[in-house]
Amino acid sequence: MNRLLAACALILWLCVIPIIRASQAQPVPGTTPEIFKQFSEYVVKIEVVETGSAAKASTGTGFVADPSGRIVTNYHVISKLVHSPERYRIDVIDVAGGTTVATVLGVDVVYDLAVLRTARRPKGHLDFESKPVEQGTRLYSLGHPHDLGLSIVEGTHNGLLKHTLYPKVHFTGSLNPGMSGGPTLTQAGKVVGVNVATEGNQISFLVPAERAIALLERTAKVETPAAAGFLADVGRQIYDNQSRYLAGMFDAKTPRVVLSPYNLPTRPTEFFRCWADAVRRKELPYVSVTHDCSTDDYIFVSSEQSSGIVRFFHQLLSTSELNPARFFTLYSGQFQGGNAAMFGNEEEVTPFRCQTRNVATANGKLKAVLCARQYIKLPTLYDAVFRAATLGSRNAGLVSTLSLSGVSFDNVQGLSRRYMENIKWQR
Amino acid sequence: MAALGYIEILDGKGSVVERIAVDSFPVTIGRAYSNQVIVSDPFVCPLHLKIAQHEQGRLLASDLDSVNGSYPTAGKESVTQWELQSGSQFRIGHTVLRYVSVDHPPAPTLVDGAVKMSLLASPYAAVISAVVLVLLLCLDGYLSSFERVTVAQIISEPWVTVSMLATWAGMWALASRLVVSRFNFAQHVTIACIALLTISGLGVVAEWTEFFLPRIPMLWIAGVFGYGLVLAGLVYGHLGAASALRRRSRLWAAAAVSLVVVSSSAISDFAARSKFSTIMEYSGVIKPIDAAWVPATSVDEFFGSSEKLKSELDKLTKKAKASH
Repeated sequence: MNRLLAACALILWLCVIPIIRASQAQPVPGTTPEIFKQFSEYVVKIEVVETGSAAKASTGTGFVADPSGRIVTNYHVISKLVHSPERYRIDVIDVAGGTTVATVLGVDVVYDLAVLRTARRPKGHLDFESKPVEQGTRLYSLGHPHDLGLSIVEGTHNGLLKHTLYPKVHFTGSLNPGMSGGPTLTQAGKVVGVNVATEGNQISFLVPAERAIALLERTAKVETPAAAGFLADVGRQIYDNQSRYLAGMFDAKTPRVVLSPYNLPTRPTEFFRCWADAVRRKELPYVSVTHDCSTDDYIFVSSEQSSGIVRFFHQLLSTSELNPARFFTLYSGQFQGGNAAMFGNEEEVTPFRCQTRNVATANGKLKAVLCARQYIKLPTLYDAVFRAATLGSRNAGLVSTLSLSGVSFDNVQGLSRRYMENIKWQR
Repeated sequence: MAALGYIEILDGKGSVVERIAVDSFPVTIGRAYSNQVIVSDPFVCPLHLKIAQHEQGRLLASDLDSVNGSYPTAGKESVTQWELQSGSQFRIGHTVLRYVSVDHPPAPTLVDGAVKMSLLASPYAAVISAVVLVLLLCLDGYLSSFERVTVAQIISEPWVTVSMLATWAGMWALASRLVVSRFNFAQHVTIACIALLTISGLGVVAEWTEFFLPRIPMLWIAGVFGYGLVLAGLVYGHLGAASALRRRSRLWAAAAVSLVVVSSSAISDFAARSKFSTIMEYSGVIKPIDAAWVPATSVDEFFGSSEKLKSELDKLTKKAKASH
């Protein structure tokens, strides 16, 4: 009996050893090392090079997304080339270090995606995940963080973000600059999203795979990119998008907030976030109550321009101590100062031009200012600030500001108008 | 020997700078030391003019073939010989002189206190205008603050301005002492105070205009013009107290100084405006007044006029595209 057992144990031992040995030499399928080994060859580094100095201006990641070798990355990785095609080129560097020059086939500026093509034929490509992915699913993100070399980051799928303008996958994992445009894979190596942004502390975002599939389909027949570049296309996409999401904003159904005696618009849609605060300090002879709302999301246009940011800010000032002349020094100062500047440079935007009027609305009189500037390369788009201050009261006043970026002039006028008409108060 | 009369050398305002007694005729006037009346004016010849007595005591002035000529009272033409009356002025080179005989009746004596001094020159005016200015500066300091302030803070604020004003007036007084031999400090203080008060008055008017009528284009030009006028007035006033210049010369000097200062500030302003900036510049003055008093446009008009804003931006974009 003992012999029999010993023989069985020996046989078992002889069977198990090769398995252990094999597992020591070969990664177990579905583990992180295995995923890295199996799929890293389809991930490439993307460098945008300034042709004059041959120095890289920005870097990112991309991946081979179809049998013909087309590469998907983020629009923001290659946006410099879109804006100044004469000054930059795109180098694609594969895992082995081979470098080829890429051309852009198409961009989706709203979802921050771009499709590139190189002359090199790939050995294979990554597939997209076609089935829905459950929250909590383990994901693996690949990319070149801070140009340190190809890295793999583990994380979890936390569903689509609910209150954003554009659907995004909430990826709980550490994405870092440079990983933008890289793929995030399931254990089976299927792409669920494209790395796009991070808010730190493991909060990261992916562009859903279906947007990349849609762009690949849209550009399927593009053989040679349009000579005129993509700038006009970028302008058109932003224009169409802002028309869509701004339609009806600040209409009569807009939720309201009361900063007595003012009745004001607040959180017009779900993708806004609002905060409120009040300054009542003993050493100050006045009280300031603020209510601030802004969109969470924006569209990257270029390193100094973004579109789709809508922000508005109500400030109620009141006093029981200051006389009218002194209170109006404060009020006037608040109306003239404070966030009266935006980023931008001479090559991309015009300087601001403003108009000021005393305006009689159905609710009373306002001092109203409208300032706007135009995008030089995308001239259908404007940045604008509308600011109004209520007139008439001697010891209270409201300064309300609406700022818009990358919108059409029709929307500058329409939104400012609806916003102005939404400022109501009891006289 | 008793004097027959006097030759007086006058300054630009007609005050006597030097008085030379004439004991006998003829008298010669010029730069040479052999003359009875020596005039240190480079435009006067060494031997320029001779005054001689003729029959019945008539005095005849004769130009001695001078380079620049001799000019009787108010005359623009040079005259070689004319009859000189007691008390009449004449000009040689850049110097104005007058001859008076000893029996020339002097002007009646002024009764002390009965004659009004020039209001500007009175020390009371200086004190009153300075006090008004200090009070206004205190008031302005108080009204333009919106934090809790103490009386001491408010009172201490205007002293920088006041001491600068005193220094300014003092410099002009020093210049006056050198040029017209009098300090005229009070007069300079009054002039500077009036100029400052006028400028702050203009500022108040400008603010209210901007508040009521923000659409007036080029309001700043009116402002520049106003400040230019005040500056010209300031220079004109100071020169009046500090020099012997005639009214016309003072006007020219004031206009020139004002033009230079205003145009150079306008040029630097324009240069700053045409530079690219991400700052929004707009007039945002708000005043505490019942809304019924405020002229206002309709909402339609407001957004209608924003089309102008758009076409202005279109032009800027075209210009930027052309320059890149």
